Formats: sequence, C-alpha cells, structure tokens
Amino acid sequence: MSDPFTTLGVPARFTFAAGELEQRHRDLSRTLHPDRYVSAPPSERRVALERAVAVNDAFRLLRDPLGRAQALLARHGHPLRDDERAPPSLLMEVMELREALDAARTKPDRVAALRAEVSARIASGERAVAMAFDGDGAPDAAALAKARAAVVMLRYLRRFEEEADALEG
Amino acid sequence: MIVRDRSDRLTSARYDEAQDSMALLQIFDPKARPEPIGIDLGTTNSLVAHVVDGRATCVLDCDLSPLLPSVVHYASHGGVLVGAEARDLAAEHPRETLVSVKRFMGRGADDPETRRLGPYDFVSPREGESNTVRFRVRERVVTPVEVSAEILKVLKSRAESHLRTVGGAVITVPAYFDDAQRQATRDAARLAGLEVLRLLNEPTAAALAYGLDKGRTQGTFAVYDLGGGTFDITVLSLDDGVFQVRSTGGDSQLGGDDMDRAVALDALHAMGFEDLATVPPTLVRRALDAARAAKHALTDATETALTIERDGDAPYVRTLTRDDFDALVRPVVERTGPACRRALRDAGVKPEALDGVILVGGSTRVPLVRRYVKELFHHEPLADIDPDQVVAFGAALQADMLAGTGPREDALILDVIPLSLGIETMGGVAEKILPRNTTIPAGRAQQFTTYADNQTGFILHVVQGERELAADNRSLATFTLKGIPPMPAGAARLEVTFRVDADGLLSVGAKELTTGIEQHVEVKPSYGLEAEDVERMLMESFEFAEQDIAARQLRERVVEAEQVLGATQKALTIDGDLLDEDERAELEGALRALRDAMQSGDRQAIHLRTEGVDRAALPLAERRMNRAVQRAMSGHALQEFEEELKDRPVHPHLVGDGHTH
Repeated sequence: MSDPFTTLGVPARFTFAAGELEQRHRDLSRTLHPDRYVSAPPSERRVALERAVAVNDAFRLLRDPLGRAQALLARHGHPLRDDERAPPSLLMEVMELREALDAARTKPDRVAALRAEVSARIASGERAVAMAFDGDGAPDAAALAKARAAVVMLRYLRRFEEEADALEG
Repeated sequence: MIVRDRSDRLTSARYDEAQDSMALLQIFDPKARPEPIGIDLGTTNSLVAHVVDGRATCVLDCDLSPLLPSVVHYASHGGVLVGAEARDLAAEHPRETLVSVKRFMGRGADDPETRRLGPYDFVSPREGESNTVRFRVRERVVTPVEVSAEILKVLKSRAESHLRTVGGAVITVPAYFDDAQRQATRDAARLAGLEVLRLLNEPTAAALAYGLDKGRTQGTFAVYDLGGGTFDITVLSLDDGVFQVRSTGGDSQLGGDDMDRAVALDALHAMGFEDLATVPPTLVRRALDAARAAKHALTDATETALTIERDGDAPYVRTLTRDDFDALVRPVVERTGPACRRALRDAGVKPEALDGVILVGGSTRVPLVRRYVKELFHHEPLADIDPDQVVAFGAALQADMLAGTGPREDALILDVIPLSLGIETMGGVAEKILPRNTTIPAGRAQQFTTYADNQTGFILHVVQGERELAADNRSLATFTLKGIPPMPAGAARLEVTFRVDADGLLSVGAKELTTGIEQHVEVKPSYGLEAEDVERMLMESFEFAEQDIAARQLRERVVEAEQVLGATQKALTIDGDLLDEDERAELEGALRALRDAMQSGDRQAIHLRTEGVDRAALPLAERRMNRAVQRAMSGHALQEFEEELKDRPVHPHLVGDGHTH
C-alpha cells in the first residue's frame, strides 16, 4: 500500500488547516469516483475504481489524528506494530483511568470529568507529534522517539474514549 | 387513502409539460436516446420518475397518481396483479396477496422475525435450496426477489408507456439495508429486465433532490426517513455540489407498518382476541387496513372512526382520537431515537450545528413523528418536497447524472457502508475489516495463513454488524478458497481483499502471496439466492423463454463491444499523446481485430477481441487517470490552499504530486 500522504497529494505533516484534507478528498473524488466512469472503457473503470478506493482509504486514515500520527511514523521508518507494548507507567495510568470510568458508570458528571482529563492528555500527545513532524526537514531522533511514545499513549487513550462512548450508548 | 397534498398537483402540472416536450422529441428525433429512470421500490408504495429539462417528475398512472401500491396478487389462472387492484384483493385473499414484501428481502426462512411479518403460507427450503423466504401462493412457490420483480416490471412498463425507450435505472434502497438485502434488490431488478445504473440510498436520494432543487451549495443536514417498513437516519454535508454522507444508521424492520400493527393489535384485543396467531388471516388484514386508514385520517383530523368488517357479525367500530393513536404508536416512534443519537455522534455533529432536518417517507406525515423529530434535533423539520415522492425524484436526478445527460455534472454523491463488514475469527469473534460509515467505494486487504500442513483450502465466514461475536451479527456468506499450493502450516500468505463498490455491494478476492496464484473464490450466500438461481429464474420467466437465448447473448456481446470500441476510440483521440508508437500500434490493432470480429457475428470471437482491446487499453487508462488526477490537484483548489497556507511551512515538492504508484 502506498503512502497515504502521497495518495492524497498532501504534504506529510501532522497539522492541517480546517477543511484542507476534506477539500482534497472532494477534488480527487470528483475525478476518480465510479459515477464519472459509467460510460468509460472497462480498463478505465477498473483503474479509476482502484484509485478511488485508495483515495478513500488514505482519507479515512489521515482525517483521524491518530491515523495520521501512525502514518507519519511509518513514513519515517518507525511504524508502530499492532501489538506494540506500552511502558509500565502508561499501562498503570490507563488501568486507573478505566477503573475510574467503571466506578463512574452511573454518574454522567464524573464520566464527563474523566473525558475532559483524557482530552487534555490527548492534546498534549498531539502537540508532541506536531513538534516532530510539522517543522522543515526530517525530525531528529529525539523528537521521533518522543512522538513515538506519544502515539503509543494516544492509542491507549483512544480505547478509553471508545469505552466511554459505549457507556453512553 | 393516501392524503394528497399540493405537491401532487404540481407534479401533474409539470408532467403535462413533459408530455408536450416528449411529443416534440418524437417528431424530430425518431432515434431518441434511451431515458434513464429513477425507481423508489418502497415497502408500501413504489414510484418511477425521470428528468425533464433538469427537473425530476414522477410518471403517473391513469388515475394521475404517482404511487403504485407495492402489493402483488397471484390470481387463480396464474395471472399476476400489481398495485391498487392487488391491494383491494388483500383482505379476501390474504395468503395469495403479498403486501410489504420488501420486509422479507434478503431474510432467512429460519429467521423467527420473518413469520411474524405476515399471514402467509411460508415454505421451508428443501435440502440443497438456499435459505431464503419462500411463499406458497396457489400452486406455485415464489421468493421475495420474484415478487419484487413483479412490482419493478409494472414500473418499467409504466415508464415505457410514457417515454420512448427506457434506459438504465437507479433503484433506491434503505441506507440501513445490509449486503444481502441490497443483493436481493439487484437480483429483482435483473429478473425484471432492468439495467441497474446504481443502487442509491433513500435518504441520500432525498438529500440530492432537496440540494439540487433548492440550489443549496453548503451545509450539514440530517435526513429522517421513516417509510412503511424501514427507518433510516443519515447525516450528510453538502460542499460545492459534493454530497458527503458522514454517518448513517437505522432499522430495516421499523416503519409505518409497525404503527398499523400496534393500532390493529389493540383493536383485536378489544374484540376479544388474546393472541394474534389465533385471528383468521382475513380479519388480520382488515384490521391492518382499518388501522392504516385511521392513521391517514388522523394526520389532519383529531379524531376518526376505526371500522373493522366482520364475517357474519356487525362491524367493529370505535372512535380513535389522535391522543389514543399517539399513545399506541409512541413506542414505535421512540424506537428511532437511539439510532438518531448514534448517527449524530458518529458524524461528530451536535443537533445545534445542523443546518436542517429533512423529512422523508409517508410515515413522517404523522404529527407525533414531526413533534418527536423537532424535539430530537432542535430544528423545525423540512418537508416542502412531497415526502412520498422525494426519493424517486432523487433517484431520477442521479440516473440522469450517471447517464451523462444531465447538466449537473459537478454534483457527486459520496456514500458510506451502514454496518461494519468483518470476518469470523478464532473463538467466533467478529473482526471488523471495514468499519461502518466507511466511504464507498472502499477496500481493504487482510492477510491470513494456514494452520495445518499442506492445507489447500480456506473458509471465510463474512458477517455484517456491530456486535462482538460473529453469531450475533448478520451472516452474509461463506467464501471457500481453493487451490493453495501444499506448504507447511503458517507458510502460506493468503491475502484476502474486501471490496465494496459504489452500490454498497461486497465482493471478495484472494491471492496466495508467496506464489502469486489468484485463488478461486466460491460464494455461498447465507440468505438469498445464488447467481445460478437468478439465471435459472430468468430463463424460466415467460419473457425469456420465448426468445432465442443465443440471439440474446450475441446481442449482449455486440452492445458491450460497441461500447468498448466507442469509449476507447474517444479516449485515444483525446489523450493519444500518452502512448508511444508501439503501444499505439498495439491498441489500434486490437481495435481493428474487434471490428473484424463484429463483422463475423461470432459471439466467442467478439468476446475475446473485446477482452483484447481491454488489455491493450490498460496503459492508456493508467496514464489518462494520472493526467486527470494531476489536473484535479493543480486546479483552482491548489491556489486556494496556497492562500490559506501562506503562514505555515509547505513542502512544495509534495503538493500536486499526483502519482499513486
């Protein structure tokens, strides 16, 4: 699978202007969507379909900050594995958060407070990723290591958010 | 009776104009182009529409009604009646008259819900037969696909009687229809002899009709679509003519029918029946009809008489106030709430951020529904296009755009998968491959390996739904892969590709990566018909039995070849500079060979030469696509970006790089 930034034709960085990725996705969809090839030769229909699928997949990945961060790590030669282990301190922290969520099950105020706490942690993680990838030139080893640790944390916090969503039905 | 509102009259006025312009066309253009049509195949009513001078209008029947009741009656001499005449026979012949057949599409014969849905004579599948619902009607057995095909045939001939030649059709389906239900709809169209241009989601069709009609270019809307038997909620945003669905949800077994059932059940209880199963089918049908009539009356009136005829007894009569009615149907209406809240959350939109809520489907005429929607979305809902016709209008507009006859080539629909697609893995867990709300067309490749030495086959169970366990989700199909070369366990690398096309239909492909051998994939649908079943029905059906099958097949090949010839020649004329001399000579040679084959009238030769052109045209297709993508990326949009991005670091070498390979 080719690099999603290249597929979407956008610079490989973390921060994008509001609507920028969406605009690019729309422009490419206008060109590649199967609706545009109803009376085209079959060879073109196939090629367009393949590319429309690739563009949709790249957009799905990049519109999500966590997906974008993981794609950037992969692009710089440090892809995260699916079973990437978290450091014990992070595991402990996430466990405590989950226990707190479990205890707050029936108290919407408490759940909202936990969510706010997690949102703040996510924002700080995203700042570390932006620091590494939004500058000119390739990130240095230290910034890359920080970004990588931040992405591992973001992945755990995402699962927490999903559990909180499920709680709210 | 369906309450007629002003938009019905508008439709007939517009229709008269259409008649005039058609008459002119017939005089000046004896070889008129086939006209694309849009079909709303509804639970209660079906409609067919087309576009005249940029406006969608419904084709009316001789009573000037756009609605064809989706009711099919199988008469004693093998005849089939569809529409109002069939509906009038439903009370007297409840088992021979199939009402709301859409609710059975793509469902299994063993599904307990199935038998609850009607007073029919269900037939269990015989050994080796597919697990689809079957009804016994008189001396024959029919499937929901065949019954729906009867409705589609009538719509097709209704369109044919008004238009010279009917081209391809866009057929709408509930957004929440799963793959089996979509496949069944497509099969029904094939049986009816319709070329399907696209399966379009009903709420998206309605949004298209609103967006194009009102000339809107921007905004985020919720479409609340409560029909006779299905409920959809879709959140979508409109940007520069692109309709992007952000989330969709619903219930493909919830609608106005359930309101009728609630009211009828209450009346039957009052008449002394404890259990619906003990009520004679004729009385059930009469109670349901009376409930529906009362529901329609209570749209405007605040009270009405509910009358149920009884054999050998005085009719049962009671006064039903709107408050009584609201109390009975409130649980049905409230069942739409959770799906709405989830769709908003999935789209990341708060109700206040919406620009409007669009009402679709006859059941949204119920005042309680309108109040409920207003409460839920904090917006006064929009219903200024007739909620019965708006979906058909949208389908016709989409058909017009796809056929390339419409002026609005810039409008584009980006729809989504309503329910996650996954496979069953170890321990019966459903692993999601394509999550719900993924934009289509979509695809994903997943790798598997063998677990036994010399294993040469692999079975994949594909499921659709959001639950953790495969067994709790909808089973779609079992894919059997064969022909993996013998290898030690874990050595094979099997890549399985899921692909969902723009119709929302899933296909699966597989490849063994270490050898590069494409696997043969056998599909066994869990519900519904296999490809051969549909072919057989087609052959058995009256229309085709009379025809020479070989002649029909030759005709199909010639049409296909003509299309390939014309389109390839056009591409070569426009972008011939993209090929070098050798490639150009090869493609021109292939085109010549195809023309020669067409002269010969040899079906097999035409097929082979068509494939030859397809192969030779691939380099041109790839490069044309690169050129188109480069244009898209370096057009006006890029300049806008540069304005916006002035203050941030930009990597200019990446912007506008259109290569995806």
